[in-house]
Amino acid sequence: MDTRDPRGEDVRVRRAAVPLLALTVGFVLADSAIVTLALPEILRRLGGTVPQVAWVLIAFNLVLALVVVPAAWVCWHRDPVPLCAAGIAVFAGASAACALAGSMPVLITARCVQALGGAFALVGCLELLVARIGERRGIAWWIAAGVIGTAVGPVAGGLLTETISWRAIFIVQVPVAVFAVPAALTARGGAARGGAARRGAVQPAEMQRPAVAPNVSLVLLSAALTAALFLLVLLLVEGWRRSPAIAALAVSVVPVAAFVATPLARRFRAVPRAEIAAGCLLVAGGLTALALLPSAHLAWTIAPQALIGLGLGLSLDRLTVDALRDRSPRVMHAGWTIGARHAGVVLGLAILTPVFTADLRNAQVPAQEAITALVLDAPLSADNKIALARGLSDQLTKEHDRVPDLHPAFARLELAPADRPAAEQLERNLNAQLERAATQAFHNSFLIAAGLALLALVPMLPLRRRVTT
Amino acid sequence: MTSAANLRAVALPVVAAALVSGVLGVQIANGGGDFTPTRSASPCAHRAVTSVSPGIQGLTEQLVLLGLDGAACRLHVTREALALDLAQSHTPTDAQVDALRAGLLEAVDRLKAEGKLPPASTLTDEALDSANLNSFVKAAIRALPDSLINSALKTDDVLRRTINELDLRSLIANLNDPNQLSQQINAAVTKAVRDALVARLRDLL
Repeated sequence: MDTRDPRGEDVRVRRAAVPLLALTVGFVLADSAIVTLALPEILRRLGGTVPQVAWVLIAFNLVLALVVVPAAWVCWHRDPVPLCAAGIAVFAGASAACALAGSMPVLITARCVQALGGAFALVGCLELLVARIGERRGIAWWIAAGVIGTAVGPVAGGLLTETISWRAIFIVQVPVAVFAVPAALTARGGAARGGAARRGAVQPAEMQRPAVAPNVSLVLLSAALTAALFLLVLLLVEGWRRSPAIAALAVSVVPVAAFVATPLARRFRAVPRAEIAAGCLLVAGGLTALALLPSAHLAWTIAPQALIGLGLGLSLDRLTVDALRDRSPRVMHAGWTIGARHAGVVLGLAILTPVFTADLRNAQVPAQEAITALVLDAPLSADNKIALARGLSDQLTKEHDRVPDLHPAFARLELAPADRPAAEQLERNLNAQLERAATQAFHNSFLIAAGLALLALVPMLPLRRRVTT
Repeated sequence: MTSAANLRAVALPVVAAALVSGVLGVQIANGGGDFTPTRSASPCAHRAVTSVSPGIQGLTEQLVLLGLDGAACRLHVTREALALDLAQSHTPTDAQVDALRAGLLEAVDRLKAEGKLPPASTLTDEALDSANLNSFVKAAIRALPDSLINSALKTDDVLRRTINELDLRSLIANLNDPNQLSQQINAAVTKAVRDALVARLRDLL
């Protein structure tokens, strides 16, 4: 059976090309947050310090933010097909290097290279998607893939870390690229023609300036979403000591809500600015709700996450559309939106990390005092209390700067059977105090992030221009 | 702008604001914002203390808990902060030692006032088990009638003498060594009993 179309292209390849290119966009943007749940595991396996492991996140976002606009400029001036294919190949090679990294500096370097390849892959994929399925649908696929990738990243990373290993996060990206490179190269004819026409159509003098308002909003909203995508998983895994798999399932509410946001919004037939305003309000409200959790039960995180997911789905793609609408060259403006989003992530990390680490340190004293009170008043013999206090002190010293696992202190106690229920109750009470302290430590960061989401509204406010005669 | 367009512009933000208000309302109604570590109680307020241990250990534990409260109240810190400081530094300040001794003496007064101090005879057997005395002497003391022991030894007097006798600084330094701790307390209790008996004999003579 002949599977070639009139242009001589394999129909199966053509059909697979669009999903593969969209998948590549999703993967690259998911990489921004995909390692969040794996960071404690990476720290344990590769050694190093907490600031170093934070750079596994920061390096990718920073390099992507810095490189994506120049990459877009190169894609606009040169044929985007080989650049996109090369970008995907570099991204895949760097992903493999990340998976094989044996030390923190190697991993961070590989993440920088990953971002470099990812930048060319992102802007190149936009051009190839538009060349394949037209301007409107191509941009829609590109934006939707990016929003879903951003939202799904932490969930996917958590599940892979728990079920296989943190290295699996990077390994799974390699086969996608193996297929995406030929998919990109098959677009050579159409995209090249489109590219030539585009370059001919837009003279450098006609190159429009980036849309400031939506891009500034993207920076602020992405900074706010950093709290939802990074800090929430940290709270669940490090603060509440849930497994990465449980945390991944818990935070899957965000991508699900983001996915249904657009169809729900369509029912309101809202104007774009209304969608953006509602989105920012929902993100700010969800983050405020995370700052006001009534307990450490996972169920309490569902509604705030649903608000954030709905807000993300409503605002992120609308802002991107706003930044791209009627602006040329499209690829340059797409580069600005990606740059704005990842600069926002870096800004969010830069603002929120010191706040939350300082708050975590400040939470130690009230937590220790609450634990001491419970141990002093526990219905256990004085000998057991002293032995337990010694064990708890050892655990606190051993897990310096982290929320400690208190169970080893209780496991070492030699208790009479009659004393066990009291010890078990005490362990539950102590863990509850730790959860309270950890939750409190994230309070200010979530509130600041909510403020950033509200600030994202400001550039989009319709300001009346003074008419001069 | 038409009314339909106006509606389209405000409907979604209004729904969003309503959703946010609903979620925040439910959370605050269920204690959102108050999910913080339990605050330490004032050490100067009356606190009921109990112990699951019987005999001397239980009594000692109650005294220590009340003594910590008293010391913390004097030092204007929480009981927990003082306990953590003493446990972590191992080198208490003069002010801490003085406050602790005063707190323990005050604890004896409080237990006595509340009628919670057992008569000396009920503690004798247990005290003799760990006392560094000749077995004949131990047997002789055990043979004494309770009324005689209780008239010769007053629990509060023995406790006060023990507290005054104790080297609290080295006691805190030995917190991690139960053997050293019990040796030190036994020595102080034995000396306090001896001194109490001598004083009683002096009174009788």
